[in-house]
Amino acid sequence: MTDQKSTAAVPAGGYGSDAAIARLKARRRAETRLKAYGICAIALAFAALGALAWSVVSKTATALTEHYVVLDFEIPQEDVDPDGTGDVAVIGKANFAGITKDVLKARFPSATGRKERRQLYDIVSNGTAYELRALVLDDPAALRSPLNFAFVASDVADLYLKGVYGSFVEQQRPPASALEVTELETNTWQVTADAPVFRAALGDLSGLLLERAERLRRQALLQENGRRVFEERLQAAMDEAERAEYRKEADARAARRDQLTEEADALVRTSSEGGAISLDRSMPTLVVRVGDDWYKLAEVQDNQATITALSAADALPGELSDADWTFLVNSVPESARKISDLQAVWLEDLKSAGSVEKRYNWRFFTSGDSREPELAGILGAAVGSFWTMLVTFVLAFPIGVLAAVYLEEFAPRNRWTDLIEVNINNLAAVPSIVFGLLGLSVFLGFFGIPRSAPLAGGITLALMTLPTIIIASRAAIRAVPPSIRDAALGIGASKLQTSFHHVLPLALPGILTGTIIGMAQALGETAPLIMIGMVAFIVDTPGGITDSATVLPVQVFRWSDLPERAFEARTALAICVLLAFLVAMNALAVFLRKRFERRW
Amino acid sequence: MNNLTLKDPELEYRDNKISARGVNVSYGETLAIKNVDVDIPDKTVTAFIGPSGCGKSTFLRCFNRMNDTIDICRVSGDIRLEDQNIYDRQIDPVQLRARVGMVFQKPNPFPKSVYDNVAYGPRIHGLVNNKAELDDVVEACLKRAALWREVKDRLHEPGTGLSGGQQQRLCIARAVATAPEVLLMDEPCSALDPIATAQVEELIDELRLNYAVVIVTHSMQQAARVSQRTAFFHLGSLVEHGHTTKIFTNPDDQRTQDYITGRFG
Amino acid sequence: MQGISGLVALVLVGISVFFFILARSRAVAVAGGNLSALHSRPAYHGLYFLLLTLLVGLSAFLVCLIAGDWYVGASLSSRISEINPDLAPIEVALVKSDARAIAEGAVASRVDALREEVAELYRSLAKLHLVVVAAVPVAAAIAAGGLNLGRISLEWRARNGSERILRSVLFVCALIAVLTTIGIVLSLIFETMSFFSKIGWRIDRFAFGTEWSPLAGVHEGILDPDRVGAIPLFLGTLLITAIAMLVAVPVGLFSAIYLADFATPRTRTWVKPLLEILAGIPTVVYGFFAAITIAPLFRAAGDAIGLSVASESALAAGVVMGVMIIPFISSLSDDVINSVPQSLRDGSYGLGATRAETVRHVVLPAALPGIMSAVLLGVSRAVGETMIVVMAAGQGANLTVNPLEAVTTVTVQIVMLITGDAEAETAAGPAFTLGFTLFCVTLVLNVVALRTVRKYREAYD
Repeated sequence: MTDQKSTAAVPAGGYGSDAAIARLKARRRAETRLKAYGICAIALAFAALGALAWSVVSKTATALTEHYVVLDFEIPQEDVDPDGTGDVAVIGKANFAGITKDVLKARFPSATGRKERRQLYDIVSNGTAYELRALVLDDPAALRSPLNFAFVASDVADLYLKGVYGSFVEQQRPPASALEVTELETNTWQVTADAPVFRAALGDLSGLLLERAERLRRQALLQENGRRVFEERLQAAMDEAERAEYRKEADARAARRDQLTEEADALVRTSSEGGAISLDRSMPTLVVRVGDDWYKLAEVQDNQATITALSAADALPGELSDADWTFLVNSVPESARKISDLQAVWLEDLKSAGSVEKRYNWRFFTSGDSREPELAGILGAAVGSFWTMLVTFVLAFPIGVLAAVYLEEFAPRNRWTDLIEVNINNLAAVPSIVFGLLGLSVFLGFFGIPRSAPLAGGITLALMTLPTIIIASRAAIRAVPPSIRDAALGIGASKLQTSFHHVLPLALPGILTGTIIGMAQALGETAPLIMIGMVAFIVDTPGGITDSATVLPVQVFRWSDLPERAFEARTALAICVLLAFLVAMNALAVFLRKRFERRW
Repeated sequence: MNNLTLKDPELEYRDNKISARGVNVSYGETLAIKNVDVDIPDKTVTAFIGPSGCGKSTFLRCFNRMNDTIDICRVSGDIRLEDQNIYDRQIDPVQLRARVGMVFQKPNPFPKSVYDNVAYGPRIHGLVNNKAELDDVVEACLKRAALWREVKDRLHEPGTGLSGGQQQRLCIARAVATAPEVLLMDEPCSALDPIATAQVEELIDELRLNYAVVIVTHSMQQAARVSQRTAFFHLGSLVEHGHTTKIFTNPDDQRTQDYITGRFG
Repeated sequence: MQGISGLVALVLVGISVFFFILARSRAVAVAGGNLSALHSRPAYHGLYFLLLTLLVGLSAFLVCLIAGDWYVGASLSSRISEINPDLAPIEVALVKSDARAIAEGAVASRVDALREEVAELYRSLAKLHLVVVAAVPVAAAIAAGGLNLGRISLEWRARNGSERILRSVLFVCALIAVLTTIGIVLSLIFETMSFFSKIGWRIDRFAFGTEWSPLAGVHEGILDPDRVGAIPLFLGTLLITAIAMLVAVPVGLFSAIYLADFATPRTRTWVKPLLEILAGIPTVVYGFFAAITIAPLFRAAGDAIGLSVASESALAAGVVMGVMIIPFISSLSDDVINSVPQSLRDGSYGLGATRAETVRHVVLPAALPGIMSAVLLGVSRAVGETMIVVMAAGQGANLTVNPLEAVTTVTVQIVMLITGDAEAETAAGPAFTLGFTLFCVTLVLNVVALRTVRKYREAYD
């Protein structure tokens, strides 16, 4: 027997040898590695969750408040109700959009051209005229008294006021005796100071020029590469016509290269020599403010600038004392924002006049969808979700529970029952979009349920939720111990009575938990509802299950697709609302489970 | 060394392989083993007997620190394997378990081939350098477990396909393959039929020639058949410990007497 | 029709309640003061009639509603083709919907003599339909109740009778799942067949063609078999799914291993629910995340290292989809890893294996079938996922396997076809065919996965 022992493996030098210890260390390291992989994986998943939460929550910031432009004015009686009838029908037909425009024109009389006027009207929302109308219809007395009315700012104006498009920041400047003004032509002046008053802005500008030069150089390099390729082909080419063509191509590229290099050099020269830099739409906006008048800098150097009137009521005097003017810069170029310089300075004017008011965006929770971001709300979608969920619950809960009771308590063990079981399990994993197609062809096509109606959506979602509810209910029913059934059957209750009087009440907490989780899934479901047309633009809050409606997740989908920047924040806020509902539902499920969970 | 100082009439004196002093084991709040002292001699079969729930399996699992895998289990006291405290921080339980092999109550072959089951230990511990050596080790261990003849033609079939007794012998071969010094057996025959039990018992008797074997068993007949020494546990305490013949014929303690005569258990 | 539906339902409920009271009092009367002489308690006599009348009434109502609708539609069609036999089917449908609009006083796309005449017919038919829908169910319910009243007697087993009815209601509920599947298969197959017939049964062109623009020839009213090749969609779906699984499988599997074999119970209790939050987030939120945050991030990262990444890259959609699938993989794998019996782990530890070696050599091989089915279920999720790809993946059928480019998927195309501007009739064919393909693929994946996991469970239970 001892010879066998010798054939069995013994580590050289036993388990205490250096080799064995080294090996052990390596094995321990491998273990630490695997553990680290696990921790990394969990950390990654959490990081993704955190990033998702952060990216949604941080984006809601600009949707939480909205700005109003508050103006004092009087509605001219002759525009609204010339005969003083006080008749609602007459007042309702008045042109309130025109009145709004008149109020704005009165506030900024310097806006005279068609284009300027249009820009002016665009700082308040299109929908604001309806609110004015509603106010007057509510209280016709408003017609005869001075009004202090808050116009909803348009989405871009609102974003500007929230600082999304930069803001005009006053620049420090060295003291100068006075700013000398010479008129070059109408609305264009040259201003000169005896100190480098504009220097503060020049650093950034010349940096920008250098960047631009760098970009031109890179383009020149590309042209040079292209030229070389054609040179090489030229060398290799045999045919005369071909050679001529390549020659042409190479020359064209050489010319373009030279031109680009030259432009770049010019830019570098301007930036280094401190010469005049001319400003365009893709550069920061520099303005000089004199009281309520704004002048935009077209060309600037240390102590001199060419300025044009931006929004100015009065002509410039020949000289501006140091205290009379300020120099401001908005570092976001005009081309990078949706709001023009003119609109921006108007808003600055309104702000300094105290006519801008910031309020919480309650409108978002109390109004329906709109094409204007500043007017859009989620009430319609939330109510649509409510109707849809109601239909889903009314169908899926009883059917699901009854099906579970049948399968657990009554179904004979045979192939048909097996088939139903396999079917339910598979149905739980069928892609939701397929349910959408089913809804489209059967409920809309065959049964003729109206498109976009919560009824169709609810039925579709009910079929989708059914497997979840059945599976959860069966688990809950199965968890009720057989002793309860035996006890009930033993005192002469029928099988049905046993199920409904004894088993079901005991299983109910589990069933409800499963149902709530299923309903939460249905509440977040989007794709099948898109299939049955709940993606339409619907302003009104649905009043019943056959009205056209949309639901929260579909609203999120629709808004996320819209180009207006203000919708991004609203999408994020709508997601937060949706998530809040889901969290509430899941919390309820957890509560039910904790409160009523029974261990047998 | 109380009872063990007696000379064994059949066997020459062997060194103690494991000695435990003042061992307490607790699961959370409950104390499962209370202040147990025991010595396990080398090249001997020691049987732990006692009514179920008396803590004998728990105590056995202290010898290779299997209790470490249970979160709420705490072990205190001093257990020495050849004068080395196995609960010392220097000792790696992984290596300890290679030196103190274990066979479990239910045969638990891995869902791998017979060959891979036996080769598992040598592979993870790096005991062999090449395939030929590994083949030799597998063959030797299967022979040692008296299984070679039955499985030599189906080495690459799953170990789970063997019969219960074969599976348990495979587990013994697997444990032997790591070249242990001590073999712990936790009721190795409780899941086997009488014929398989006889085969395993025969095997245990052979293993005694090379290893210190500790076997936990429910069956007093089995303890009497295979062991040279017996320790009787009751309610977490070691009641009596000594030569098997003595324990079964002339126990010191009344409780031992009651148990082996079947008054309780 | 909706108003009448509610009314009829209300009347039916009233009738059944009436029969409940009637039957109950009759039973009491029959018993003549000795209620225990009745086989079933009076309430069961009532219940039987309640269920009977309600069920008969409601089924009659549904049958009348659907059959009536069908009859009205069919007679309008036949009348239209009688008047003008040259109209194409699509135009017939248009005339029909216009006629309905005219009859209901809504706005029709066109009003002409034909439409007026059909509208007149519709008006009379609708009136008839209304009468039928209102009268037949009520009559049927009353008849069912009235004819059975004679059965009330001392010996009549009303309880068994009503339980039989209730049991069949339960059975019908369980059957709804099967009906749903049948409904799905039928509706998909019907449109798929009509689509295939329109492309001259060139199924090979659909399955292996590489150009996908099914609506290209729609204005000429033809479906060009050369332009319905779905390979770019399949490839795109595959690419995004592969990226998703590359993210989800390692992360999910390693988390599951850590949670099952390394983490303390306390860590488990807070990590698991947190991971499952990922599964509870609506996919539209993932879509938003992918489109607004991840896609621009990848684009910027690509720019920084000199790679051009499409703004709707497969990578962004795939990675976010992977994040969505992590909890499926991790919780399913965690389940199967946990169900590997402790005795196997003990066997391995007893031989001196570390936890890592035990996991690698014993636990994972044992759990492999279960893990495979978790992965298959994950793949089926990824293939059928819609919102993330609709919002973050491309729309053009682009034949590429470069993850930095935009690809489109089967689900995206279904959504585009159904919500697009094209006529519903023309867009439905390719959309439902893609849906059918999707259904079949996910069905196979699910069946295989569920079967594997069931076998696995059986092996260790």
